Amino acid sequence: MTSDQKTTVLILDDEPIVCKRLKPALEKAGYEVESFTRSREAMHRLTERQFDVAITDLKMDGLDGMAFLTEVKKRYPETEVIVITGFATMETAKESYQKGVFDFVAKPFKLGEILEVVKKAEAKRRSA
Amino acid sequence: MLHRLIRFIQDITGYMQQRRSLEPEYPFSKLFKKFQNILASNNEALELIADMGDKLGGDYVFDKQYILSTYEQLKNHVFRLVLDLNTLAPGKYVRLFEVFEDINDTIQQELSGKWVLPQGDFAILYPALNQDMYELVGSKNANLADIRNILDLPTPDGFAITTSAFRAYLERNGLCDYLVQAMSLWDPDDEKACEEIASEIQAHFLSGSFPPEMTRQVETAVDALQRSNPGKMLCFAVRSSAWGEDSIHSFAGQYQSFLNVPVHQLLDSYRKVLASAYAPGVLAYRHEKGFQVQELAMSAGCQLMVNAAVSGVIYTLDALSGETDTLLITAAWGLGAPVVDGSVLTDRFKVSRTPPHAISSVVLAQKSTMMLLEAAGGTKTVPVPDFRQHEPCLTSEQVQKLAETALLIERYFKRPQDIEWAIDTEGKMVVLQARPLHIRTQPGCTADHVAKAMSDHAILLNNQGIVVQRGVVAGKVFVVRNDNDLMNTPTGAILVARHTSPRLARVMRRIQGILTDVGSPMGHMATIAREFRVPTIVNTTVATRILKTGDSITLDASQNIVYSGLIPELCYDEITSEDVFEESYEYRLLRRILRNVSPLNLIDPHDQNFKPSGCQTVHDIIRFVHEKAVQQLIHLGDTRTAQADATSKRLKCAIPLGLTVIDIGGGIQAGNAMARDINPEDIASTPMKAFLKGLTAPGMWSTEPMSVDFGSFMSSLTRTFSAASESARYTNRNLAVVSAEYLDLNLRLGYHFNIIDAYVSDKPNDNYVYFRFLGGVTDVTRRSRRARFIGEVLERFNFRVDIRGDLVVGRIKKLDRDIMIEKITIIGCLVAYTRQLDVQMNSDDDIHQHVSDFFKGVCIHDIGSENDGINTG
Repeated sequence: MTSDQKTTVLILDDEPIVCKRLKPALEKAGYEVESFTRSREAMHRLTERQFDVAITDLKMDGLDGMAFLTEVKKRYPETEVIVITGFATMETAKESYQKGVFDFVAKPFKLGEILEVVKKAEAKRRSA
Repeated sequence: MLHRLIRFIQDITGYMQQRRSLEPEYPFSKLFKKFQNILASNNEALELIADMGDKLGGDYVFDKQYILSTYEQLKNHVFRLVLDLNTLAPGKYVRLFEVFEDINDTIQQELSGKWVLPQGDFAILYPALNQDMYELVGSKNANLADIRNILDLPTPDGFAITTSAFRAYLERNGLCDYLVQAMSLWDPDDEKACEEIASEIQAHFLSGSFPPEMTRQVETAVDALQRSNPGKMLCFAVRSSAWGEDSIHSFAGQYQSFLNVPVHQLLDSYRKVLASAYAPGVLAYRHEKGFQVQELAMSAGCQLMVNAAVSGVIYTLDALSGETDTLLITAAWGLGAPVVDGSVLTDRFKVSRTPPHAISSVVLAQKSTMMLLEAAGGTKTVPVPDFRQHEPCLTSEQVQKLAETALLIERYFKRPQDIEWAIDTEGKMVVLQARPLHIRTQPGCTADHVAKAMSDHAILLNNQGIVVQRGVVAGKVFVVRNDNDLMNTPTGAILVARHTSPRLARVMRRIQGILTDVGSPMGHMATIAREFRVPTIVNTTVATRILKTGDSITLDASQNIVYSGLIPELCYDEITSEDVFEESYEYRLLRRILRNVSPLNLIDPHDQNFKPSGCQTVHDIIRFVHEKAVQQLIHLGDTRTAQADATSKRLKCAIPLGLTVIDIGGGIQAGNAMARDINPEDIASTPMKAFLKGLTAPGMWSTEPMSVDFGSFMSSLTRTFSAASESARYTNRNLAVVSAEYLDLNLRLGYHFNIIDAYVSDKPNDNYVYFRFLGGVTDVTRRSRRARFIGEVLERFNFRVDIRGDLVVGRIKKLDRDIMIEKITIIGCLVAYTRQLDVQMNSDDDIHQHVSDFFKGVCIHDIGSENDGINTG
């Protein structure tokens, strides 16, 4: 990727409030952001394009964040995935890291916190 | 859930009563275990409340799941608290179960999506309305009442039909369940189906009947108006005032209004206003904005018609041109409805927002028709006489008066305003309604733009005083030295004075901002400045020396900075900055939940309301349980001294602590078995000895006389209860439970609650110290400074520190005995040192000063060192 291109971020969370607040905050920080509340649509979007960073909840009504995470990493191993979740257990954390997740952020989080993590993920992407 | 719980309560009540009469009492050690459980749950619960409060600040992203799960945890802790208290004091506080269930019930309803609005009268006259009734009367009514009752501007007489009336109407006509069921079929993609749903809902509303009590209250209100308008045929404007409307979301113009409605048609028009809230467009808008159908609560305003000669609308910011210093007035002959809906041409006046509000442009229209009142009710549209068609409908004096009025309203509501006004046939100006004007930030007004504008201006004062009311204003300085000056204060001035004084209240409506050299943020003037929302910084020490009458300045009381010169960009940015967060459903939900959780009403244990039925919130219950648990333990100690496993003594100490010490094993020197009182030397408990050493260390327990500022600060408390009598009352109210290695201390000093739980033995693995500090009373800023001070000190001594709001928790464990003793001694010093600290916390710099002073004190007495090189955790 070239440095003058905006870093692209995908957000998937079934709670609209999370997308509603994360999207403008990330955009203000200079990212190109797409957000989804339905995993089906997010999965579909993955077939059309790649994102530099994907942020996903793990436990959502009617869908499995772990499956999404698996799909992202399978399709685009270089996409950095950040998991945001309110139910972090050792088990899910372990599984996420095994699947190559970049970082784990517990909900609720501060906007500054997630921006920091996205920045780190971006730096890793760019240095790759 | 409810039934199960009630049955459970009944069971336990029976059990308790039975047990009281039949079974022997628990040994003290068992009861003490319960007490420790109470303390643990108490801590957890308070931390959860503080945590939820933090989330409202805007820093965090949280979802509904967070609200649900956090409240669930809180509920469990509080339930356990109530249970344990009733075990500690068998059957004494059974009523607390019901109180808790009531509060929990309200919260559960909120969580399940049902709104819970305050119960109130069905109809309330405007003079009786206030801010607190916002949910009862909707924002339009509440705003208008503020404009009338606080800003003292002329508004029409009238009354509000409340959301309680709306709810009664829904219930009487079975509309609650019907609405949820009807809306479950709502599919935004199917327009036709949506229209059918909407028209069916509307038909249901229009065919409903009124609860008799509601009809009676409306008649009473009308009678009252008739008495103050004798001989006049009353006709009303009936307007919607929905809960949430006009506040953040604008439903402007989406609900119907009815004009010149005679008394006999009043309730019918009210019903039509309700139905208009379910028009297809409105339902679609609400749905799209994420409002639940149950969240809608309609109130209506019934205002006496103004016989308008001229009417119009003011935008306090010219949204279309993007000019940051322009206010726009449109006006036409007759009633204002055609101006609002845009069906007539209007005169347009562009006016400077800066006093004296010069008119920058006038565009006159040919006004060919106007709307007038029909004598029998309703309105008519008639031609404007030829000679008046091209005549401006406002004089320049009227334009200026309107601009002044509008900016006064804007300053109060802290948002650009969209104001409807009229001038009646006798020339009297009346404000009909005011609502926030939603303006998208102009491309030219980005953060960079504001930053650049600011960089061109010198900073005159920076973090120099205490902010009393936030906000940004630009204008001319007017220095007030005496009453004469005060009378001559020009409109729109930023007032600069040596002292805060309640006399400034006289000009509060005229001025934009206040700066003082000296003054308290708790005084009377501060209260008034907050009420009028006038940006104010007090205690700057230098304002009158630096600023001269006539200087142009920008006062940024949000950042605590005063700039030289006018920076309209900054003012513009402040009033137009969008805050999406407060608009979210989750924010509103959490705020509604917290209203039933965090306010503390039970402050004084001697108040007659300090009983289970006086608990209005979860916090009240937690406070009540803790207080009663401590008292119960003291009581047990007092009455069961003969018991083998515990003895109770009063500690005689140079410092009046009012402390009862209960020894559960080796905590007090043997040989004093019969004495009622003990001295500090009699304490054998290792952690207790350490604590007392720190508490009484020379120089830590300040005995300096209170400053003048402190006096005024305390005087602000006397409204709720007498502070002077407090210390006397609390004698013998504090408790320490000790053993040779253990200390559990519940210590209230003035308004500070300290809890220490510590175990110190020769086995480092068992050793721990838990310290909790909770204060209150003083303003939020000082509280947070105090919390930061305590946090910094604890951190320097290697405690693990957790600060949430004004709750500070410090923990340390698994260290050698001697180091543990040192840590507890430090806490003793800290408790003593913080006792009178609040009032001295004037600025952030004071935090560091006090941290350094504290260290000096500690080092002089060789009590502790900040770097013991030990890894904690």
